[in-house]
Amino acid sequence: MLHAFLALIATLIHTALMFGLAPLLMGVVTKFRARLLGRPGPPFIQPYLDLHKLLRKTALIPDTATPFYKVWPFIVLSTTAVAALLVPSFCFGLITAPMSDFITLIGLFAAARGATMLAGLETGIGFGGAGAGRDALFSIFTEAALLVLVLTFVLIAQTPTIDGIGRVFGGGHVGLSVSLGFALAAMLGVALTETGRIPVDNPAGHLELGMVHEAMILEYSGRYLALFHYAAALRLIIWVSLIGSIFLPFGMADAGAILFWPVGLILWGLKLVFASASLAVFEVSTAKMRVFRVPEFLGVALLLGVLSSVFLFVAQKLGGS
Amino acid sequence: MHLACDPLSALFLAILLPQIVAGALGAERRSVFFWAFAGGMVLAVLAAEAFTLLLGFELMSAASWVLVLRGDRRPATLYAGVAMFSGACLLPALFLPPGGIAFSLILLGAGAKAGLAPLHAWLPKAHPAPPAAVSALMSGGMVKVALYVLIRYGFVVLGGAVQPWWGTALIFAGAASVLIGALRAVLEVELKTILACSTVEHVGLIAVGLGVALRAKALGETDLAALALQGALLCAVAHGLFKPLLFLGAGAVKHATGSSSLDWLGGLMRGMPRLGGLMLVGCFGMSALPLGPGFAPEFLLLHAVIAAAGTGGILARIGFTALLAVLGLGAALALGTAVRVIGVGFLGRPRTLRAAAAEDADKPVLWGMGLLAGLSVPVALFPGIVLLLLNPVIAQLVPGANQPPLHYAPFMLALLLLIAAAGTYALLQRLASHGEREVHAFNGGFGKPPAWLPFGDPLTQASGTGFAEPIQRALGATILGAKFIDPGESYVLDPLRRLNVYFTRAAERVRRATIRQRLAFLFAALVLFLAALGFVQGA
Repeated sequence: MLHAFLALIATLIHTALMFGLAPLLMGVVTKFRARLLGRPGPPFIQPYLDLHKLLRKTALIPDTATPFYKVWPFIVLSTTAVAALLVPSFCFGLITAPMSDFITLIGLFAAARGATMLAGLETGIGFGGAGAGRDALFSIFTEAALLVLVLTFVLIAQTPTIDGIGRVFGGGHVGLSVSLGFALAAMLGVALTETGRIPVDNPAGHLELGMVHEAMILEYSGRYLALFHYAAALRLIIWVSLIGSIFLPFGMADAGAILFWPVGLILWGLKLVFASASLAVFEVSTAKMRVFRVPEFLGVALLLGVLSSVFLFVAQKLGGS
Repeated sequence: MHLACDPLSALFLAILLPQIVAGALGAERRSVFFWAFAGGMVLAVLAAEAFTLLLGFELMSAASWVLVLRGDRRPATLYAGVAMFSGACLLPALFLPPGGIAFSLILLGAGAKAGLAPLHAWLPKAHPAPPAAVSALMSGGMVKVALYVLIRYGFVVLGGAVQPWWGTALIFAGAASVLIGALRAVLEVELKTILACSTVEHVGLIAVGLGVALRAKALGETDLAALALQGALLCAVAHGLFKPLLFLGAGAVKHATGSSSLDWLGGLMRGMPRLGGLMLVGCFGMSALPLGPGFAPEFLLLHAVIAAAGTGGILARIGFTALLAVLGLGAALALGTAVRVIGVGFLGRPRTLRAAAAEDADKPVLWGMGLLAGLSVPVALFPGIVLLLLNPVIAQLVPGANQPPLHYAPFMLALLLLIAAAGTYALLQRLASHGEREVHAFNGGFGKPPAWLPFGDPLTQASGTGFAEPIQRALGATILGAKFIDPGESYVLDPLRRLNVYFTRAAERVRRATIRQRLAFLFAALVLFLAALGFVQGA
């Protein structure tokens, strides 16, 4: 009973922090990037100010839009929000843990992506259609790579939920292996694509031929644009937490052990800072790719995913005999 | 004639009935051949012995051939050829003793009828030809009857002699179908051809599930077999709901606009809101997204493949890893297909005046589609209950299997999504400005179109071809070759055509022989005969 109550409290804290900190993480990355480039950069809280500004503005509805124009941002945000509830942040054992099957999570990401593509096709502008077509191409490789990675994780952890995978990996019985190294590299490639960062897409891009995510939401304004921006911020924090709880699950608390929560919270904060710093360093030191180089980049991620499971099979074969 | 209804027959009858009702509502209720077609399918599913099964199967093929012929003559000939091929394979197979040869013949015969690669190239040509209600029943029902024959013989009749390679063969055929079907579906432009290619993909998914189950059954892993069967059968149920729905909708679109090519549509959601909404439901199912009817089967199949990769020899495990990547590709391509159908056909600006002036479909068609959409809601939200209903079927196919519980809870997920959406809406109502103004689309700063283009220049909007261009460049060229020809076409149908031409020419040469050539031939034959006789005598 007490355990369930603590799990509920932990879930509420998790929810509040995920939703509250998502724009801040975006701001931190932007700030770090600007400092690395020698500019002072906007304040950390700039994304909150932007969201506030967008919420106050009148929404401009294109005359060629159908009634579904206003529906897509809600679908994008709510599917991303549910994904945020499923991915553990500072502790394991949230009340959503039994639902956090990895394949469900991939499905939720796909649903958000589908709604964004439809938003891009909604008004019938050239940019939106081009962006949607490119996103469809990228998603093919990310989904295949993610499923192969899920195979590796599930075979090591013997459980399909993210919560269970993180617990097993944090338990210390897994250790370092070549297989997980490949898996991490593949996962990072997929994460960069899914969150629309350089080298795949430029989050700061406007009206350039290579843009993908921004192209699809070009016709959105006011509060509807705010929903898309917030969903993008949420996606970044989800991916950082996901990679953190699978590959760096050390020190994460259990929802039942309230005394360890502060440790888990501090470690999660450190992970977020570390992730945004490395993302900033990576982004300023890499150039954005041409659109048709991205399939090659993702093909390498897929290959690494397959290699990670092949290495796992070999290791299990050697260990078994 | 003997009829019987065991759980397997009952399941397939339940898959067929809503489609037949929807098809009859859809316009075809006065056609004798439609009812002969439907009757043949029901007869095949309810048959208790081989003769009745074959009678129903052939009745179904013949009646559907007449219906295809009504739509288009060229695919009808190809279709008749494939139907004869599958009949010729099934006829001896049903009476052979259980064993590898019988299963191979069943796989060829039923696989050709179901559109399994490499014998699938006829399906995207023949299924779109007849009127929409018949296409719906062919894609949603006839394909299932062929799979029923495969299941009935692979698991029940020949079940005692099952070998692991039967499953492996099915998995290979299924994986190839998934890849080719999904890729072609996202590249095709004609709405009904897109749907037919997507049928090839779904047949492939079902075949992968059946293959994993058959292989696991042969190896004695009954729990894995049950899991894979759950996925395959649930996929058959879901596909039997959303695919006829989409075909009926495609027919209504063609009726309203005179074309079903994506490049001639656009913006239909305004003129045909009800049809558009129903098509959205269908595409949601086709794309295998969470909360849709297509997700639970995909989820089960992926978990079955993951479980299959957990044991066995290293080559098989690598094979299952590759299979998982193929299934991932297929799922993402299916999402792209669904987005393309809705986004290019129903959203955006109209590309022709007819698309702009389209009016909503007739009531009966909408009722038929509504029936299928309504039935897909429980399948989508309560797959656990559907799986409970499937229990007797699985117990019949794999005796003694424990059915694993489903780890996907769509109802809870739906609740969370609803809370998230409602919360967002409430927050926007409280915090955000309510101002809204309709303006001309920004479109990257493009100027207003001239007055004689009321919906803007159609060329400035991504067409169906344009949307698929990145995929075509990156993936289509690799798998379909530079000319984008289906491998089933270039490696199966084309050699057959060449063989046909060769034999025709040979026959023609014999027919055209002069009297001298004929006499010389007779003389040579006589000499050879006498020489052979002499050798035999001498020996």
